[in-house]
Amino acid sequence: MNNFVFPRPRQSELGEQLRAEVREFLDGWHGDRHAAAAFGGFDPEFSKALGARGWIGMGFPKRYGGGGYGLLERYVVLEELLAARAPIFAHSVADRQSGPLLLKFGNERQRDDILPRIAAGECYFCIGMSEPDSGSDLASVRTRATKVDGGWLVNGAKIWTSSAHRSHYMILLCRTAPVAEARHAGLSQFLVDMKTRGITCRPIVNIAGDHDFNEVHLQDVFLPADALIGVEGEGWQQVTSELALERSGPERFMSHQGAVEEFAVALKQQRSAEGARTLGRLVAHLSILRRMSRSIATMIADGQEPALHAALVKDLGTCFEQDIPETLRLVLQTEPEAGASEAYSAALANVILHAPSCTIRGGTKEVLRGIVAKSLGLR
Amino acid sequence: MSDDMRDMLHESALRIFADNPPDLWAVLQGAGFDKALLAESKGGAGVSWADACGLLGLAGEHAAAVPLAEAMVGHWLAERAGVEDATLPTIAFSTHPEQIRLARARDGWRVDGTLPRVPWGRTCTHVAFILGPGTTAQLVVLARDAAGVSVTPGHNLAGEPRDTLLLDGVVPQAVVPAPFDAGALLAVGAIVRSALMAGAIERALGLAVEYANLRVQFGRPIGKFQAVQQNIAVLATQAAAARVAAEAGTEAIDDWLAGKGEPLTQSIAAASAKIRTGEAAGQACAISHQVFGAIGFTEEHDLHRFTKRLWSWRDECGNEAYWSLALGERILAGDTKQTLWRTLAPAASGAATGVAK
Repeated sequence: MNNFVFPRPRQSELGEQLRAEVREFLDGWHGDRHAAAAFGGFDPEFSKALGARGWIGMGFPKRYGGGGYGLLERYVVLEELLAARAPIFAHSVADRQSGPLLLKFGNERQRDDILPRIAAGECYFCIGMSEPDSGSDLASVRTRATKVDGGWLVNGAKIWTSSAHRSHYMILLCRTAPVAEARHAGLSQFLVDMKTRGITCRPIVNIAGDHDFNEVHLQDVFLPADALIGVEGEGWQQVTSELALERSGPERFMSHQGAVEEFAVALKQQRSAEGARTLGRLVAHLSILRRMSRSIATMIADGQEPALHAALVKDLGTCFEQDIPETLRLVLQTEPEAGASEAYSAALANVILHAPSCTIRGGTKEVLRGIVAKSLGLR
Repeated sequence: MSDDMRDMLHESALRIFADNPPDLWAVLQGAGFDKALLAESKGGAGVSWADACGLLGLAGEHAAAVPLAEAMVGHWLAERAGVEDATLPTIAFSTHPEQIRLARARDGWRVDGTLPRVPWGRTCTHVAFILGPGTTAQLVVLARDAAGVSVTPGHNLAGEPRDTLLLDGVVPQAVVPAPFDAGALLAVGAIVRSALMAGAIERALGLAVEYANLRVQFGRPIGKFQAVQQNIAVLATQAAAARVAAEAGTEAIDDWLAGKGEPLTQSIAAASAKIRTGEAAGQACAISHQVFGAIGFTEEHDLHRFTKRLWSWRDECGNEAYWSLALGERILAGDTKQTLWRTLAPAASGAATGVAK
């Protein structure tokens, strides 16, 4: 029985050239390494510098400001940025999901207007999927867009919306037709300018003390007709096509890499067999996850939609990440303190406080395992 | 080898394992699987290690009680060292020659000492092992029925022979310069075990899925319960990771032999194979037994044929802790200024630095 074949990842020669370039760029960059931000810092200046190098929207065609690169080249750049703990959070959602979504389903005006600004590192996105009563059960969203003269009127609320307070646009999932027998029908996605009247954003501070996500209220928000993305009623298909991208990338197992790096540095001062063994085990897991993730990137580059493989790798990857603080803390005796001057203590505090979210954001591990179980013929 | 040839070989092996004839080992030898890694000019099938990974996976998936892995490695080892008498029918290999003394006598070599837990020691016709470090390493091949060899039978948990060979003034059949040192042979042995384990884990998964869909409790198949589904999903993710780890390990052998990439003893993929499959094996055994409940805990049921092999193989040729320590120490001994990441993902040697696109 072998349900999950992960083909040998293809190495891109161009990608390896880019790796050297990105490393040189990062070596010359002396900004804040954001050891304290597990998901990367939010730094528009850095995003613009990356954009100027052509390393955002790499897969967009050149006429939209992209580099016309393939997914494998983008993968190399992304993993290098993550490994260096570069502050990529400002542009990362647009780069990973929203840009490709507009490229695939958006209309010409949306693409012409938005994609070049994403690629320049100047235009940031948030994802309006979750609602107060719709988390894992996304098809139950209640935010509603009603057709009115010249466009749509939206009412509802979104929650856990990362960076809503500092994004230019939201990709909004909402209901455009009553719940039919097929629950996934009647959903549509819209491109929403966050400055539109009727949108209010309330901060939600997470347990790490960060203001990352928000509650977004939409009250009588008017959207022009051409804010609709793709075809009315096909929102669910759009969402699922984003998932393979969202779930399989290196950000699903490298967000705690900073702590592992600090651990390795600390170990060099304080050698022990237990430390070496722990490090070796983490490296083994990381190298296998990386191979699986690169295999998925290869499949996507070859035109497949490995949503199932992506669910599996996200489950493995996020459980690995979540386990990192539990593993590290027993080796070096350190009391974790957020923002401590000792880098390892600060990094440990950071990953302990962010670990619970790994297996929640982007699909809970229970939902992912349900997808895997279904594919095995259970249910 | 063409894809068609590879598929044919795989199909043919699958048929033999599925038929499971009483003389399985003779049938496999007759079909040439023991020499599959040798070049066609040497009577082999010329398969790569990556291809061999699939064949060994099948052996694990069928809990085949045959020394296929041992013979594949043994023949390959003898052939690489240029040991002429390649009619040697079944060569086992030992990765633990620490207690062996090789000495020159007036008329040749003598071997004394103990080879512990040689896989299939009693059924093999020859045993091969490597002594000495680096470039002075020597490959020693002994005939198992040579004078001075005595066998103390032992078993792993699955009942596979793991026999201790006592050697008393044995005249070896061959002592030749080894193609690589004992460390590399241990790594090969660990990767081979990883490939077997990947197959056995997939079988444990298959059995668990099948049973969960059949066994009815509380009026429905237990596979309808989310608690059971979630556990089996975890088993499936472990199976996938184990398979990928075994493939990465065997590809590392191919790369090493082709002179690409690192020596096998420096390869992260080689060390990771056993670490990752060993960990997956523990979880796979625990979950599959949990799914089967009491019936899986009986001797009568098939499940233990796979789980006992997994519990054995994960501790052979170095367990997770052994390889984790080796890998961790190697990384810590490396360039102290280099980040962990750049050790793990080295810049490709051919890539030009700083060249703008």
